Amino acid sequence: MAALAPVLEDTSLLSRLDRSLYRLERVLALLSGLAVFGLMVLAVGSVGGRHLFNAPLPGYVDWIQQAMPLIAFMGIAYTQRDGGHIRMDILIGALRGRLLWAAEFVTTFAILGLMVLLVWGSWAHFQRSFDFTAPMWSRDSSFDINLPLWPAKLLAPVAFCVLCLRLALQLWGYGRAFVLNLAEPVAVPLVRSAAEMAAAEAEHVSGADS
Amino acid sequence: AEEWNVSLWGKRRAFTEHVEKLAELVSEKTGGAFTLNISYGGLSQNTENLDGISIGAFEMAQFCAGYHRDKNPSITVLELPFLGISSLDQEREISMALYDHPAVRNDLARWNATLLMPSPLPQYNFVGVGEAPRTLDDYKGMTVRATGGIGAAMEMIGAVPTSMSATEVRQALDSGVVKAVSFAPHAHMSFGTIETGAWWTTNLNPGTVNCPVVVNTDALDALSDEHREALLGSVDEALDHYIDYYNNETMAKWGPALEERAIEQITYSAEALATFQQAAAGPAATAWIGEMNDRGLPAQELYDFVIGMIGQ
Amino acid sequence: MEPVDIGIAVSLGLLVMVVLGMRVAFAAALAGLIGLVWIFWSKKGYDPADFGWALSVAVKTAGQVPHSKVASQALSLIPTFILIGYLAYYAGLTRALFEAAKRWLGWVPGGMAVSTVFATAGFAAVSGASVATAAVFARIAIPEMLKAGYDKRFAAGVVAAGGTLASLIPPSAILVIYAIIVEQDVGKLLLAGFIPGVVSALIYAALIMGLALTIRGFGPPVRGFTWGQRLHALRPALPIVFVVMTIVLFVYNPFGGDAWGTPTEGGAIGAFVVFLMALWHGMRWNQFKDALLETAKLSVMIFTIIWGVLIYVRFLGFADLPGAFSDWITSLEQSPMLTLVMILLAYAVLGMFMDAIGMLLLTLPVVYPAVMALNGGEFVSAADSTFGMSGPMCAIWFGILVVKMAEFCLITPPIGLNCFVVAGVRDDISVQDVFRGVTPFFVADAVTIAVLVAVPGIVLWLPGLA
Ligand code: NA
Ligand code: NA
Repeated sequence: MAALAPVLEDTSLLSRLDRSLYRLERVLALLSGLAVFGLMVLAVGSVGGRHLFNAPLPGYVDWIQQAMPLIAFMGIAYTQRDGGHIRMDILIGALRGRLLWAAEFVTTFAILGLMVLLVWGSWAHFQRSFDFTAPMWSRDSSFDINLPLWPAKLLAPVAFCVLCLRLALQLWGYGRAFVLNLAEPVAVPLVRSAAEMAAAEAEHVSGADS
Repeated sequence: AEEWNVSLWGKRRAFTEHVEKLAELVSEKTGGAFTLNISYGGLSQNTENLDGISIGAFEMAQFCAGYHRDKNPSITVLELPFLGISSLDQEREISMALYDHPAVRNDLARWNATLLMPSPLPQYNFVGVGEAPRTLDDYKGMTVRATGGIGAAMEMIGAVPTSMSATEVRQALDSGVVKAVSFAPHAHMSFGTIETGAWWTTNLNPGTVNCPVVVNTDALDALSDEHREALLGSVDEALDHYIDYYNNETMAKWGPALEERAIEQITYSAEALATFQQAAAGPAATAWIGEMNDRGLPAQELYDFVIGMIGQ
Repeated sequence: MEPVDIGIAVSLGLLVMVVLGMRVAFAAALAGLIGLVWIFWSKKGYDPADFGWALSVAVKTAGQVPHSKVASQALSLIPTFILIGYLAYYAGLTRALFEAAKRWLGWVPGGMAVSTVFATAGFAAVSGASVATAAVFARIAIPEMLKAGYDKRFAAGVVAAGGTLASLIPPSAILVIYAIIVEQDVGKLLLAGFIPGVVSALIYAALIMGLALTIRGFGPPVRGFTWGQRLHALRPALPIVFVVMTIVLFVYNPFGGDAWGTPTEGGAIGAFVVFLMALWHGMRWNQFKDALLETAKLSVMIFTIIWGVLIYVRFLGFADLPGAFSDWITSLEQSPMLTLVMILLAYAVLGMFMDAIGMLLLTLPVVYPAVMALNGGEFVSAADSTFGMSGPMCAIWFGILVVKMAEFCLITPPIGLNCFVVAGVRDDISVQDVFRGVTPFFVADAVTIAVLVAVPGIVLWLPGLA
């Protein structure tokens, strides 16, 4: 399956960093996918336990709530790398050259600012649930079977830190494109130009796709 | 003018009447110079209300201790099964006394919170489908929806606690996934379990939740003497109103609601209940005391304090 | 400035950020964060010494939202249903369904497009997520329609619109989320979605046939399948029936015994059955990994929007905008039906700029009580009510209407998730192309909504039997 917006690669330091980070992001995203699979297995276990042994999984709901942050956060940088977080590109799609890179730089910078603040905020949220002196280090626990919540809460600032790294790389990419006035910079998701789309269309006349 | 934000959840109901009354009284007493701005769910998720208080995002909030035992271990003593609390007035009196205990004050001080008043709820009981459990033996192997301490207590007499969110309860009972559900009466009405249920246990009384209203300590300290007096001096009247409302509005509807639907009311004998309490209450209390000692709380003292007041 | 004014100012700022091309999830979160700082600082009279305090409280308030909102059992249905979609793709179920639909229905005018609609409707009975349905059918149905000579924009539009059916026809993540927000019976709501989903599919098909009859070179019907070939095509599609039966048994046991579980368990078990089928069909680790990565990507995109929007919603709570709105709605002196229609229109406008789940989370806490009040309250009897239905029935009816509106917002520009997903799968089709191709279906959806408003029986008959 093709990505919505392609990310170009070359041998520059930026591109190498981009690909290294991408490998990490992919592993995290796969973790998130495995957590979805885990949800499924959990349900099978709960239902199976109830029907076969009259022993349902205690705290089934609590365990689901523990798994959800894995699913929701771990792939966030992976998705940002490929330009998968949706946006309205009617306006930005019409821009070209330096104006485009400047616009991308500004919105990416705003997102980086936001995410740095959210790393702070979500870390504070984690800290309130964590106490080194308490049993299981727990100062906040789940409703039914009293699971400690701090590991799940820690996932948010961790994933957001990786996203901040990704955003910093993209800022570098857009900044470089602006300064050098590049047409096809590496390490950033590109908005497809009409010409590229026409070319891609030509490749697809057969309609064969899988 | 002083304006406090108050974080509640859901909608205005019997469970929030004391806060509504408090807001009315405070505004009245200060001639509108001090107002409580009540929000239902807009300021925080109910499980994060203590966090919001600790941050200082709002000045007053309600929460239930059982939502997050590790946040407020000390007051979960009031959620132990089979304490034998028999009325809302008794629940109120014991809660108010416990909230003033130094260990409890310190526990909540970690959140920069001061306990203001309880939201007394009656004991939970079961609404169920199928054959009614006339003896405690009948609970063996029965799938029930009961969480936390009540779930643990039910497990001790052989029931099978099954985990699901409150909103799925009706569907689960309808379709036989669980045979019985424990809630307070108002929740049985709002989640519709009595529409399906065939029986109701009038006096199993396996426990309840403790849901205090707290204020941000810094904000309380920053109040002028007059405003603080207006707030603290209104608590008694607000609670009177709450209990009166719960008894005369909610509980008054409960009996007729059961009769209208021809729901069989099951009452256990004193001996049966004593057996149940022996099987479940003792071990639960012992376990609680052990765990809370690990948390550095004077657990035995808190437990004796509560039991002592019930015995009076 | 009063908090409500700050609310309006920040909302306009959000609109500007979205139009400028900032990624929607982050634009909403940023608007919410800025709004929170503003509100807290205004409380201290904008004293420069208090700015640090306001920033800290705002950041910590916003910082709670991602974890606390995402760690929810209701939302766990979304990734599960997305996974079902991808696994079904690798199990060959989607292709089998499409093939069967093509052989049976391909002969009607606009046959390939009509087949796509009914294949998506059939798939909707195992898939609870519209975006996943659109994503897998974009891979299967679009190439076939292009081969048959359809305009690529229209082909993409059919898939984007057909995908929305997954949210009405049970199982449906979004119906469960509605049920949980408004605390109504999940089972009855799921049941209620069935007939409106089928009606919606029929209206889509009618629209396509109308277009095929009026537009020259629209796309030829596909004829020439023998009855033998038709019957033969049913066999590979049969496993779908098995998955549907599994899910149904979890909600309601037709053989009179107890159901096997709750609807959320049913979704997960359905996914498990499809997983086994995919293994049977020859799925290996690499394909499984692809399915997991695709699931993760689509899920994280949706969850980021959810928590981003909810930070903004948290700010609106502090600005008390919902309260102001509720007061306004109930103070209107006009016919309740007109108010209801206006609410639905407001959803259409809001839905242009929002994701479906974000929209429900944002609006229902305010709008639902207002609608229930319009009908005469939660416990009103049918005889005493405004809309001629009891309180619980009104909750179901309004739920189906709102979910249909939410589906509509999945295909309306500028933020129509299904269109983004289809364009994301096909790199020869731009988002603008999909939006252009899906436009005719706005008319179909408008007709469907009108029918559901005018004839509530379509919604309420099935749950009324249960
Ligand atoms: Na569906
Ligand atoms: Na839209």
